[in-house]
Amino acid sequence: MAQADQELDTRGLNCPIPILRAKKAINTLGGGQVLRVTATDPGSVKDFEAFCRQTGHELVSSGQNGSEFEFLIRKH
Amino acid sequence: MAKRLKAAERKASILAVAKVLFADRGYHGVSIDDIARRLGVSPAVLYRHFPSKEALYEAVLGDIACTRENYVDAILAGPSGFGDVLLRMTRVFVDSIAHDPDYLRMEMLAALEANPAAKQFFDNRWKSFTDYIEFSLVELPRERRAAHVNPKAASLMFQGMMREALYAKCIYRSEHYREFDLDTLVNRLVELFLRAIGYTPATEQNTEE
Repeated sequence: MAQADQELDTRGLNCPIPILRAKKAINTLGGGQVLRVTATDPGSVKDFEAFCRQTGHELVSSGQNGSEFEFLIRKH
Repeated sequence: MAKRLKAAERKASILAVAKVLFADRGYHGVSIDDIARRLGVSPAVLYRHFPSKEALYEAVLGDIACTRENYVDAILAGPSGFGDVLLRMTRVFVDSIAHDPDYLRMEMLAALEANPAAKQFFDNRWKSFTDYIEFSLVELPRERRAAHVNPKAASLMFQGMMREALYAKCIYRSEHYREFDLDTLVNRLVELFLRAIGYTPATEQNTEE
């Protein structure tokens, strides 16, 4: 499993804020680095799939633990 | 006798007819028999695809064209400032309603019928806007980028403005606003809203908020 270079906690926040926060966070990373996003919005699964499709970043993994969701995104 | 359709075509035709009837008469004003009669089939055909009227109503709601993916595309399609993102998201929402105003009629009727499932569904459609406005109106005043206004009152104001604009243009087709197309009216209202909350855009393009 990929190690994260940066963590982003968006628990309790709903679209569009996690997407805007992820965009901002990933801009601070270098190519190939990984951002770990935690979220509680069930819609975030589709949102981050769309986010990666739209931006070209790689969705390394997408998982759920109880009511929390976790995404690993590698900057292209 | 009704033409025999493939299962997917039949399901789509049921959803299309059900949507028109629910938009015209509300959830309680339509029976499975009404929908079957309009389709020229027996009620048993409908029950093969949907176990109940409630399931059919929820499927009609779930079929709404505007998806979260459209919002994500809109969010990423330009500068990340609050005013820019709010305008782009609003356009996605308004375009989806203008494309299919039956959903607006369903929302109006659901409010009158006090249907809890439908109310929750339609509330969720506005939630991206209300949450975004309320969250931003806590953060922006700290950066002196917006006035100290009540976030909940502001989000309600925004929702009320947009809903009324949609009613005027998509339901009543009011002559009073004929000089505006819907996009122009939405642009004006978002401008007014941003002015009302004392919003100051970031000075640099693409500045994140």
